[in-house]
Amino acid sequence: MLSASFQPFFDWCGRTWLGTAVRDTVWAFPLIETFHLLALAILLGSVLIVNLRVFGLGRRYYSSAAVLARQLEPWMLVSIGVLIATGIPMFLSEPMKCYESYSFPIKMMLILIGIASQFTIQRRWVMAGETDTSAGKAKLAACVSILIWTGVGLAGKGIPYV
Amino acid sequence: MTILGFCEWLQSLPWASGVKESSWQFPVIETIHSLGLAVMLWPAALLDMRLLGIVMKKRPVSEVASQFLPWVWTGFVMMISTGVILFSSEAVKCYNSPFFRTKLVLLVLAGANALLFHTTVFRDVVAWDKSPRTPLRAKVAGACSLAIWIGVVAMGRALAYA
Repeated sequence: MLSASFQPFFDWCGRTWLGTAVRDTVWAFPLIETFHLLALAILLGSVLIVNLRVFGLGRRYYSSAAVLARQLEPWMLVSIGVLIATGIPMFLSEPMKCYESYSFPIKMMLILIGIASQFTIQRRWVMAGETDTSAGKAKLAACVSILIWTGVGLAGKGIPYV
Repeated sequence: MTILGFCEWLQSLPWASGVKESSWQFPVIETIHSLGLAVMLWPAALLDMRLLGIVMKKRPVSEVASQFLPWVWTGFVMMISTGVILFSSEAVKCYNSPFFRTKLVLLVLAGANALLFHTTVFRDVVAWDKSPRTPLRAKVAGACSLAIWIGVVAMGRALAYA
């Protein structure tokens, strides 16, 4: 999927100190992946809790999704940080696998869209205000967030396969 | 029948060996297994952290519990049902793996910890429900739960690469 012009860069990534170190340490990859997966659970769990509230799940406990979103957003941002920090060494340890897969570039694109949507439509349509004023827009933003971040997880899982 | 004999029989069943032989069934089921982690682990961690007095300190513990326990059970059912299939497809490998054995022990400990919490200190929750500070036994239960589940994830990852 990626054009051949990327190949020298991916080759170089695999020869970096960090890439070699992760590759040559037996337990490094599963250990880093454990933290990657824990952070994914925090991110995806928060995305589901907040955005399903937009559709009414848990309305007994929270007057609006906005309150919930403001409470969980710091955790989401930290988990995105951990995902990137653990994702980079995993990528450096096997960049050619990523270069050859369709899932990897799709995942990277989805991450960019996901982060952009978090700081734009999520903040404006879900997190702002005390009540769900513009329900239609909030639902759209909620759908986008759930689909994008679930897609990031699925594409990540897909890297070794397709 | 020995446990090993049972594992050999189990993974020779057509549906179990089919999962292993298929090019897509194992990764797809494993993906659902990982998504279950987000549904279960983060809500469980939020409840644990409420017990530790880290998050949602102003909300009654019983309310946080009734908000998040349905998530935990939903995720748990997702993880157990997919986990049983994944185990069946490579039962002998799991039987021989110290990581899988540790994972099982940790799961039993997680269950025992939750059961003990719900049958003892949580029974008197009305006495400390609204307080940001919870009894020591509740804090210990929350901390144990967090540590055990992180261990479960780590053992799962180690198992996949061993």
